Amino acid sequence: MAATRIGSLLHALGLLIVLAFALFPFYWMVTSSLKDQTELLASPPVWFFHPTLSNYMDIFADTKVTTAVLNSLIVAVSTTLLSVILGTPAAYALARFEFRGKADLWFWFISNRMISPIVLALPVYLLSRQVGLLNTRLVLVLIYLTFNLPIVVWICTDQFRSIPPDLEQSARLEGASQFDIFWRIYLPLGLPGVAVSAIFAFIFSWNELLYALVLITSQGLKTAPVVATNFMSGYELPWGKIMATGTVIVLPVTVFAMLVSRHMIRGLTMGATK
Amino acid sequence: MSFLKLDKVVKRYGSIPVIHGVSLEAKKGEFVVFVGPSGCGKSTLLRMIAGLEEISAGDVSIDGRVVTSVAPADREVSMVFQSYALYPHMSVFDNIAFGLKMAKMPADQIIGRVDEAASILQIGPLLSRKPRQLSGGQRQRVAIGRAIVRHPKLFLFDEPLSNLDAELRAQMRVEIARLHRNLGVTMVYVTHDQVEAMTLADRIVVLRAGQIEQVGSPSTLYDEPANRFVAGFIGSPKMNFIEARIGAVADNAITLSHPAFVGGTLTVERAPLRPVSPGAPVTVGLRPDNLTIGSPNPILNLTADFSENLGGHTQIYATATDAPQIAILANGRRAIVRGATLPVGLASGRVYLFDADGIAM
Repeated sequence: MAATRIGSLLHALGLLIVLAFALFPFYWMVTSSLKDQTELLASPPVWFFHPTLSNYMDIFADTKVTTAVLNSLIVAVSTTLLSVILGTPAAYALARFEFRGKADLWFWFISNRMISPIVLALPVYLLSRQVGLLNTRLVLVLIYLTFNLPIVVWICTDQFRSIPPDLEQSARLEGASQFDIFWRIYLPLGLPGVAVSAIFAFIFSWNELLYALVLITSQGLKTAPVVATNFMSGYELPWGKIMATGTVIVLPVTVFAMLVSRHMIRGLTMGATK
Repeated sequence: MSFLKLDKVVKRYGSIPVIHGVSLEAKKGEFVVFVGPSGCGKSTLLRMIAGLEEISAGDVSIDGRVVTSVAPADREVSMVFQSYALYPHMSVFDNIAFGLKMAKMPADQIIGRVDEAASILQIGPLLSRKPRQLSGGQRQRVAIGRAIVRHPKLFLFDEPLSNLDAELRAQMRVEIARLHRNLGVTMVYVTHDQVEAMTLADRIVVLRAGQIEQVGSPSTLYDEPANRFVAGFIGSPKMNFIEARIGAVADNAITLSHPAFVGGTLTVERAPLRPVSPGAPVTVGLRPDNLTIGSPNPILNLTADFSENLGGHTQIYATATDAPQIAILANGRRAIVRGATLPVGLASGRVYLFDADGIAM
């Protein structure tokens, strides 16, 4: 009895430590965004302070930040939608059909993610300049798509494989077309996998800094992470504004993840067979 | 005129044949059961009729139309899967209506058809539930409802009762038989359970290793098995086999010799189906339910080993010199003393004989 109580106490303590480790940076970012510059730079750090929204007023007064958030939203949402629209049929094909070169295709998807993005930065820059895509949102969507598609395809293939093949055959006997089977059976039953991969795609596209920095130079098209780093120039480091921008950037991802997470329930296929 | 016809149907996976040119005909309204041990190809054959497995050679026709290269949905067949294959994200109503929706039937007609199927199967109150909220038996009914709602020409059942417990299995067996009687539709039913085969079938097809061993009515297969395999497969408890030799052959009698027989010999008073020569090996088959203990004319001298009380019957296992364990199904309860000598006679039925190749003789 006592042993189990101590055990569960230790368990809770361990969880608390992990939680603190994960959440502290987030906490520091949000609280810092609510401090003024003197409190921010105080040493030792100030734990109790008068919160102020002045940093937020500053960044929202600056149209750079709002435009950048809008740009990020456009790029991330289109990338996520395209990844899911293109990735799920591919995953269905890989999960359920046998065709020549299937293993090679699979490996090609994996190998896409083996290359460090920075290795490709220069060739991608030169290519996009050549085709006139430099300084467009489209080029970011296309590049992010190449990174996101493999994730969507892997996760969804695995998810679709777990759906009993009897369901597909039964639907086929009942006159469902290949598209009906995908649309009415695989997609709804594979929703947990689709949701997870959509979150990954969104977070990746939303946070990506390297390509956004290299391929976009015109101020009006810059994405949020780029604008946040733009504050770190010249002789001043406006920590409050950087932290406020950071908080604003994190918000949409959190909301999106919360919206989608209710679809990530396991056991949705329970009751299909047996 | 045959309704379902399989004409030298072959299935190969790569170069490995699994169905070796099966030919079979079924009449309209007939209940045909495919039975055989696991891996005999019975499910593959059923799926070939459904169109879910490609046919490597030969033809399948349904109602006079060759459907070998017709898409599964256009064959006008319905199938009940072993796993039920219900769509877990859809309600019972949507599960049953799925095929009709795919066929673009008007909504009011769909409702009518689903209600009809639901009342036949008594699942009306369940229509708004999801499959996970149903018991095994209820899921089974929904799966059958999904099959009957399309008014198919041919019903296919792939081991539909194997996931149910014994009591429910017996109950659903009766319901399927009743359904067949009421709908009068041709049904092909796959099972490895010979009790299901015996009770449901108009005709049983016994399969082994992708080939038909025998086709016939349940009583034909029971009374006149074509070979040792069918004899051992049909009937519960299983037929006893004794490896004996032919002693003498007369016009109307065959004498067999084996140490287990009383006096070392057993005379069967009938002419063999084919000419046999003395000294040839022969397998003697005796059904446990045909044997009786304490007979005035015993044919076997056995030593009691143990017994199982089955309530109304007692299953007795006994041994003999040079023979495998022999089972006897006796009426009522019998107390058996281990090691006691049992004089066993043949109460009814017959002595089955099979030659060295296992063919009935």
